[in-house]
Amino acid sequence: MSNVVPQRMRAVLAGISWPVYVLLYTPLALVAYFSFAPAPNAMGHSTYAYGVLFHDGQVFVALQRSLILAVCSATMSTCLGTLLGYGLCRFRKPNARGFAANIPSLVIYTPIIMPSLVFGISELIFFNFVHSYTGLLGAGLVTMVIAHITFQVPYVALTVFARLSGLDPNLFEASHDLYADGLKSFFYLIVPVVQPAIIGGFLLGITLSIDDFTISFFTAGPGSVTLPIYIYSAIAKKGISPEINALGTLMIVTVIVLALAHFFITRRRDRASQLPV
Amino acid sequence: MKTAVESEGRSRSIRLWITSGPGLFWIVMFLLIPSAVLLGIGFFSADDYGSPILPLSLQPFQQVAGFSLLGWDDGNILIFLRSLEQAGTATIVSALLSYPIVFFIMTRDASIRPLLLLFIVLPSWTNQVVRTYAWLELLGPNAPVSWLAHWLGIVPPDLGIAPGSFAVTTGLAYNYLPYMIVPLYASAEKLDWTLVEAGRDLYASGFKLFWHTVFPQTVPGLLSGVIFVAIPAFGDYVVPQLLGGDRALMIGSLIANQFTETPDWPYGAALTIIMLVFTGAGLVAFRVLTRKLGGSGEATI
Repeated sequence: MSNVVPQRMRAVLAGISWPVYVLLYTPLALVAYFSFAPAPNAMGHSTYAYGVLFHDGQVFVALQRSLILAVCSATMSTCLGTLLGYGLCRFRKPNARGFAANIPSLVIYTPIIMPSLVFGISELIFFNFVHSYTGLLGAGLVTMVIAHITFQVPYVALTVFARLSGLDPNLFEASHDLYADGLKSFFYLIVPVVQPAIIGGFLLGITLSIDDFTISFFTAGPGSVTLPIYIYSAIAKKGISPEINALGTLMIVTVIVLALAHFFITRRRDRASQLPV
Repeated sequence: MKTAVESEGRSRSIRLWITSGPGLFWIVMFLLIPSAVLLGIGFFSADDYGSPILPLSLQPFQQVAGFSLLGWDDGNILIFLRSLEQAGTATIVSALLSYPIVFFIMTRDASIRPLLLLFIVLPSWTNQVVRTYAWLELLGPNAPVSWLAHWLGIVPPDLGIAPGSFAVTTGLAYNYLPYMIVPLYASAEKLDWTLVEAGRDLYASGFKLFWHTVFPQTVPGLLSGVIFVAIPAFGDYVVPQLLGGDRALMIGSLIANQFTETPDWPYGAALTIIMLVFTGAGLVAFRVLTRKLGGSGEATI
């Protein structure tokens, strides 16, 4: 297949690609390097910045908020998104045409396509109006969770939908023939079969939540500073400090370790399931 | 009397609403209605605090065009053009880098391909603020690269490459490169190599071979990549804010300022409308282009 590509061309491709790989990680590596800045009135590298960081109560509170935000929003969006993907795959009229039939797709794709700045500002204004007329939903962790659910639901729905639409339709017929009603077939057929997609969707939701800054920034209130907002305002106020670099390093390392772990665990599982029984 | 087909159809649509209703309702309630409100605000007048009040007016759009009490000013148009240019450059740079990388990965052993792809995507899973300010370490005033640029006379002393428009372009390309590589890789995986061999048999080689056999087959991936890069890059907020400073203001920061620092909601909403019009026009153009070039067949809801 790809042996069509001549050896010389492959060398050129490698010559362009490896530097890009290096460049992708250079800024991140520099953050880690500068986090080991010397302590005041001292020389050489030290873990001084990490010590300062671990005694900073604000950072811990921000971390706690980030985790609460990620887990709450990912849980809710997994429930909503799974149902949404399932419903659209199973119960939508096949071959439906026209505008009305396309409304669900349009609704699902809006959060994905909308620039996150417009997303964030829309939420800011909406929650502002709701708060000034009803007194509910003042800017804070609750509004952030609501906004995060909104942008995660489509991704979960698409993941679940992709998994379900790859299934043999006869499976549903079979469960129907065995007298499983809607609920039973949902819990005994769909949930086990779609489980990898549901878990994948949940993890994707967590990743999206942790990755997001813009939408969080515009829906946050004075008392709901999360880690990214903390870093952003620290840089805006005082510039980059070794403590910020230490915090950045910890965030980068966490993401890389989790992603690699997830990659190798799922790969081992895939391999195990491919073994002839 | 109802037929069995009709009642079957009805129970089907009831189930559809029970399962997908809550998710769709959530998105409509917390995104479509809020964004409709935001767009509507663009047609109101502003009071002294920048909040929208009646009567309806088109004054916000005049402000967008550059008219104010002080007369006409080309600032906004420059910012729009700069945003288009930044997003365009970032898109072109990532497209040019994506082809070699995608085919580099494709020509490697099948067992390490997923890992190579993972290492492309990994940086984009770290928080956007962290991976963007990381570039300040590389391009900031005290970084070696900036000394080099200073020595070459590209930037004045005591200033770094960042903040500045070159840093913004770099930051945007860095942020969105994986969004180009992943769809391109997906379409390259389905590549029909027999066509390439046929081209070789017809004595095509080098660029000609690529242009006539490989490129047409990867156009769908490239076009979705262009959409995934250009749209978020055009309206990006974090990158120009952290790497651009005052020297490289982009439309995103201009909009955000109208809602944070110096509130003028109708003006900000009008700017948003214009930005979305640009984005929407780009999307439609690419959709038409994709259809013409025969790109379809992805799993879409």
